[in-house]
Amino acid sequence: MGKRVMVVDDSRIQEIQMRKLLEDSDYEVVAYFRSGEDAIAGYGQADPDVVTMDIIMPGMDGLETARALLEEHPEARIVMVSSLAYEDTYEEAKTLGAKGFVDKPFERERLLHALDEALASEA
Amino acid sequence: MNTALPKDQLQEVLDRITREVTRESVGIQLAQGESSPGEDLCTVHIGFSQGFHSTLSLRADTAMLTRLTQSFIQEENVIPQDVEDVAKEYFNVLCGQISSALFQATKIASRFTVPAFQQGSFSPEDYQEQFVLSYADENNGSAQLVHFVPVTGEQPETGDTTQTNEEKRR
Repeated sequence: MGKRVMVVDDSRIQEIQMRKLLEDSDYEVVAYFRSGEDAIAGYGQADPDVVTMDIIMPGMDGLETARALLEEHPEARIVMVSSLAYEDTYEEAKTLGAKGFVDKPFERERLLHALDEALASEA
Repeated sequence: MNTALPKDQLQEVLDRITREVTRESVGIQLAQGESSPGEDLCTVHIGFSQGFHSTLSLRADTAMLTRLTQSFIQEENVIPQDVEDVAKEYFNVLCGQISSALFQATKIASRFTVPAFQQGSFSPEDYQEQFVLSYADENNGSAQLVHFVPVTGEQPETGDTTQTNEEKRR
């Protein structure tokens, strides 16, 4: 059984793309949430090894969601995914405890590397 | 965009990133276009804030967006909802890259709204077109990236917003 990935992204297309990119890898998508609020509510039941978190979402954005999720589940390993490749966004994500950052559009190898790094890091 | 960038530099950034993101995310090579999309078109648009007050829209032939969708999700059979969702995600990525490039150039950060999609054309209220970049794909599908700025009572810098990209670079 693969390592469990929880996808948080308001675009269902990203979930489809993530599943395709992770085919034949050590990872599998086990849960998908379209909002930060749903992700926080569903994290416990999903019990993922790693979370991929979009930043730009309606309602709670990804950074707010990551912050709230880590307060409740400090063990969560979160990789931020976004097209907003700002240095200050990287820094903010890192400061709040995210384990990695992947720019959109995704490349399979970069994504897998970020997931591996997140799992190798200390919680 | 109300950036510190001169208009021609802004056009160059938007043009370069549109071509790059389209090639990298869906494998479609965009060429300079000469015509507007036909009657069967869709528009996806995003509003910028915090530093850059403007709206960007992409209006494109529905057939071209359908090809883009097939390529993006690697499925031959797609439904209209797929086309809408992919158009929004593609434009979200495009605007993120544009925002990042502008930040690199100006050190002014901006944020933008979630993308909106609609059948037909779109013009935001109280905004005017500043320039239009026209594209064609390998199947002669047409698309136009339109940059809107808030109406200030002043005339746009160019009266001819249907210039080709090449003309604008001259």
